[in-house]
Amino acid sequence: MPASVRSDLEHIFRAAYPKVVGVAARVLGSRDEAEDVAQETFMAFGRTSVPAGEALGWLCVAAAHTALNHLRSGRRRVSREEAASDRVTVAPDVADAVVQKEEHRRVRAGLSRLPRKQAVALVLRHSGLSYAEVAAALDLSPGSVGTTVRRAESALREELNRHASSR
Amino acid sequence: MRHPGEGVLRRLLDEPDGVADVDRLHVEDCTECGSRMASSAADALLIDSALDFDAEVDVDAAWQRLSGSLATAEAPRPARPRRKPVRTPIIAVVGVAALLGGASAAAAGNWFQIFRTEQVAPITVPQADLVQLPELEEFGTMRAESRPKIRNVDDAREAREATGLASPRITNLPVGVTGQPRYLVGDRVLGVFQFDRAKAEKALGQPIPEPPAGLATTEFRLTAGPGLAAVWPGNSGMPALMVGRVVAPRAFSNGVPFETARDYLLSLPGLPESLAGQLRAFSKDGGTLPLIVKEGSESSFTTKVGKAPATVLSTEGGALSVVFWVEDGFVNVAGGSLSTDEVLRVAKETRWAK
Repeated sequence: MPASVRSDLEHIFRAAYPKVVGVAARVLGSRDEAEDVAQETFMAFGRTSVPAGEALGWLCVAAAHTALNHLRSGRRRVSREEAASDRVTVAPDVADAVVQKEEHRRVRAGLSRLPRKQAVALVLRHSGLSYAEVAAALDLSPGSVGTTVRRAESALREELNRHASSR
Repeated sequence: MRHPGEGVLRRLLDEPDGVADVDRLHVEDCTECGSRMASSAADALLIDSALDFDAEVDVDAAWQRLSGSLATAEAPRPARPRRKPVRTPIIAVVGVAALLGGASAAAAGNWFQIFRTEQVAPITVPQADLVQLPELEEFGTMRAESRPKIRNVDDAREAREATGLASPRITNLPVGVTGQPRYLVGDRVLGVFQFDRAKAEKALGQPIPEPPAGLATTEFRLTAGPGLAAVWPGNSGMPALMVGRVVAPRAFSNGVPFETARDYLLSLPGLPESLAGQLRAFSKDGGTLPLIVKEGSESSFTTKVGKAPATVLSTEGGALSVVFWVEDGFVNVAGGSLSTDEVLRVAKETRWAK
């Protein structure tokens, strides 16, 4: 391992990698893309001196931001968009698959339109981080995490319902 | 007592122990809060389902991949010949680069010129990052005070009269380029940009660093043009060669220096840090403009047209080649469905007739 890379990287990587991929996957709806984001995130983390105790929060926030940047930039690969998610491929018929795929697309579009802090808080919370962890990672008070997440859920639900009612 | 806020109700769903007893007991007895809680729970369930993703990973394989990437990134890079700074024209440009206005004149009143296109250095960025760069409109107000009004004119003389610029004269057309050129002209464009912090924060979805003092009250006048171009058809009748020039873009400020504003904009979250860093470095050169090269679809190299340094771009596969060079305050361009050698020859042989 290069000398400029922190010595505890492997230990932290093995403990946090699945969680970091999960954060990115919730944003991107694609495991492959999420792994790309996770790799990018750990590459950056490896050169930081973030205390080990704060590593998970740092990594999850960075992964969420990076994944949201991918969404916003349209950097996603078409083939991956087509794949949408493994769940689509097991849909019982083509019509369901099309509907599911469209829903995935709407979720990603809705996420990319949320205020960034709301989107990150939402994804972190639904990735299993506690309120205290989300608060620490985003420099929020634990009390305002609930408010931020609630607003994000409400906005995203409206986005999904608007689409459902227009079909 | 007052009803707990939405955030408290939301936390009650996930972490009831994190909610004060008084709030928890209130919700248990309050019909209104019970209803709000049910609504919150429904939303939470819906969104959890929408975001759910079971991403099983192979941690060992992933670690091998990361180790390899880190080792590669640290490996000493082969020595490459240093390229001289590019001195060429402006092409391009995206988002922030829209700031690069330019044009003659307009230095009226107390406006003072603080920036002028004399150099353009290529920066290679992933294509997607071009898309990511926010439009300036999202950062404030951009008011177009004059538009280019690009139009056809009958001949070279009319093009010169409409713009006050010299027109290109080429005696030895490349193979496959035939006939007489048609001429296009465009007027000077002028836009006025004023930064708006609230709009920028909305666009980026997060608070942004404190802007430089005076930025909010500074107007940047961005000008470019006028310009003209001669376009020759090929054997198929489609345009095959274009040679033209435009008065180089310039930016004027009535307050905060333009470069200060540019550096601040580039430092905002949302721009890829790698690109922002490159752009900040360029600002130190004073007058160097970023030339964005789309990675994977274009390649570039530097050379000279006469004594003027030039940048040559070509699309993947060489279907289209363009050369830019800056000379005497003009951005010149020659391009077409030709090889890079051919467009360079055209550029070098072009004479400008007044």
